[in-house]
Amino acid sequence: YLCFNSQIPQHPPLDPRLRRTYPKDTKPKFNNIKTKKASSFHEFARSTNDAWDIDDEEDEEFLGTFNPAVSIPPGLHTTSSVQNQVATRFDFLSVSSKENELKQQSLPVRPIIPLVARISDQNASGAPPMTVREKSRLDKFRQLLASPNTDLEELRKHSWSGIPREVRPITWRLLSGYLPANKERRELVLKRKREEYFRFIEQYYHSRTDEHYKDTYRQIHIDIPRTNPLIPLFQQPAVQEIFERILFIWAIRHPASGYVQGINDLVTPFFVVFLSEFVTEDMENFDVAALPLETQRNIEADSFWCMSKLLDGIQDNYTFAQPGIQNKVKALEELVSRIDEDIHNHFKRYEVEYLQFAFRWMNNLLMRELPLRCTIRLWDTYQAEAEGFSRFHLYVCAAFLIKWRKEILSMVDFQGLLMLLQNLPTIHWGNEEVGLLLAEAYRLKYMFADAPSHYKR
Amino acid sequence: CSMGSDDSYNFVFKVVLIGESGVGKSNLLSRFTKNEFAHDSRTTIGVEFSTRTVQIDNLTIKAQIWDTAGLERYRAITSAYYRGAVGALLVYDISKHLTYESAERWLKELYDHADPHIVVMLVGNKSDLDTLRTVPTDEARDFAEKKGLMFMETSALGSTNVEAAFSEVLTAIHKKVASREVTRGSISAVTLSSPLGPSSEAQEERKGCCRS
Repeated sequence: YLCFNSQIPQHPPLDPRLRRTYPKDTKPKFNNIKTKKASSFHEFARSTNDAWDIDDEEDEEFLGTFNPAVSIPPGLHTTSSVQNQVATRFDFLSVSSKENELKQQSLPVRPIIPLVARISDQNASGAPPMTVREKSRLDKFRQLLASPNTDLEELRKHSWSGIPREVRPITWRLLSGYLPANKERRELVLKRKREEYFRFIEQYYHSRTDEHYKDTYRQIHIDIPRTNPLIPLFQQPAVQEIFERILFIWAIRHPASGYVQGINDLVTPFFVVFLSEFVTEDMENFDVAALPLETQRNIEADSFWCMSKLLDGIQDNYTFAQPGIQNKVKALEELVSRIDEDIHNHFKRYEVEYLQFAFRWMNNLLMRELPLRCTIRLWDTYQAEAEGFSRFHLYVCAAFLIKWRKEILSMVDFQGLLMLLQNLPTIHWGNEEVGLLLAEAYRLKYMFADAPSHYKR
Repeated sequence: CSMGSDDSYNFVFKVVLIGESGVGKSNLLSRFTKNEFAHDSRTTIGVEFSTRTVQIDNLTIKAQIWDTAGLERYRAITSAYYRGAVGALLVYDISKHLTYESAERWLKELYDHADPHIVVMLVGNKSDLDTLRTVPTDEARDFAEKKGLMFMETSALGSTNVEAAFSEVLTAIHKKVASREVTRGSISAVTLSSPLGPSSEAQEERKGCCRS
């Protein structure tokens, strides 16, 4: 089903008013939840355990003899099966939970997506050839990128529903504001910015042992091996040094926040995407030190600048007492209280506070809750949105929470709820799930962003 | 004290893990609640939560353990998590003296935010790294005694004393609760001292939730 992501919701072009909406006095209807509580509760307990077990298996497989050729069973590549799955997912949002449960039960165990796909998006080797639609999308991107002055508005519009992996590195550089729209100037800007970054290194990196900065460096140093611990790529000294330099330079250039745990995660998507220009498969085990030094340095510098651009928009997440996060968690609570009173009251009843689970969602931009490939897809859209990382993320978080509505409402104690919310079973998620999440987030944003009082109870 | 997988309980005790980044708090938690140790655990963001049910004096105690991030910046937020805590493990790394030196600072923060009767144990973790030790056991024990803290050295890696550390803390909490030294009022938020009974939400507790 991996190759059909572009067929799934077309957004933002669709007018959300045409989509199903929730008038102010209705909520999503999930029939039978209360009456079926007992059985669905146990079913959930079982299925959740399974999801965790699968996670473990996958990690074991990964540590053992990892086979990049393992792929999705062919049956799942057929159009009908895709549509079927999509329908099921939509049902989850709109039709009764009973019906949904039945469909889910009838689905076979979902395939384990190989780690290559996990890290480097899903169209890696082993994926089926491009569809006509994908091909024409790619052509459209190539055409926009080749123009003497890339139309950034157009590029954003097309990027919203996912950027083809072939053109993702250049598109990310443009959307983040790192590269200019003017094609002729790009090479010069790249050269200048890369040089500038390495001047920072020369000037400041030695100060990591200074009294003033040694705590910052120590923290970065102990966090880097813990950033993507299960992926060998990130255990290579060359890669860890790149991350250390990027984070240290960023931290000392931004003294209002400095280094805060969570920022380390934010380097990863950029690094992986820019590295992907030089690696076609098995990125998890790719030996970065084998690349020419200049290539390594360019990846490092580009990752630094793009991460800096991202952080410019969310710096109050990481300043003293993290006001940005506190405000966003409050906003999430407010939003959920309006869009799904049942979940909100359920949390109240069992004394679950939003901060207890959503702090991490904000601090790490859901990176801890989703596989890396999903984060990369998510960031296509965040960079296409005007304030993707700082505002749209809130709506994504709300949509993400509501996605687990059934599971949440069937959990009837504090411990169970917290364990669920901290271990949401997304291990098998791919473009399809992220696409649906984004569509729902877009709908929420459209309804609640600028005219909230109208919907207030 | 022994493990129990009963699906109901007499008490819930909230216990927090505090201490500097990288001393092994998350692994103490996973060793105690899941008997697992991860060489490759990721940094804790904000707080993370786990639970285990144990038997103490014929009572079923649900230990609700909050693992907090050790980084300074989070403290403004994590302080909210001290609310309702009746026990704390203040963890340092026996091979990193700096992490021991900051114990006093963590203690101050704890007493600033938590119930004054909170049971606190100073825990020197990574006792398997004895050859790299920079914090002498006697020094830490003296410090703990002076501050009125319990004390133990543990190894989450080697599974040494982890069970014992949590058990002693939970037993001490139970003693305080039983002797009403900790009044119900000050801890009611988390210490649901609801006796086994039909109306309790304990009835709906998930069977076998603690992996043991």
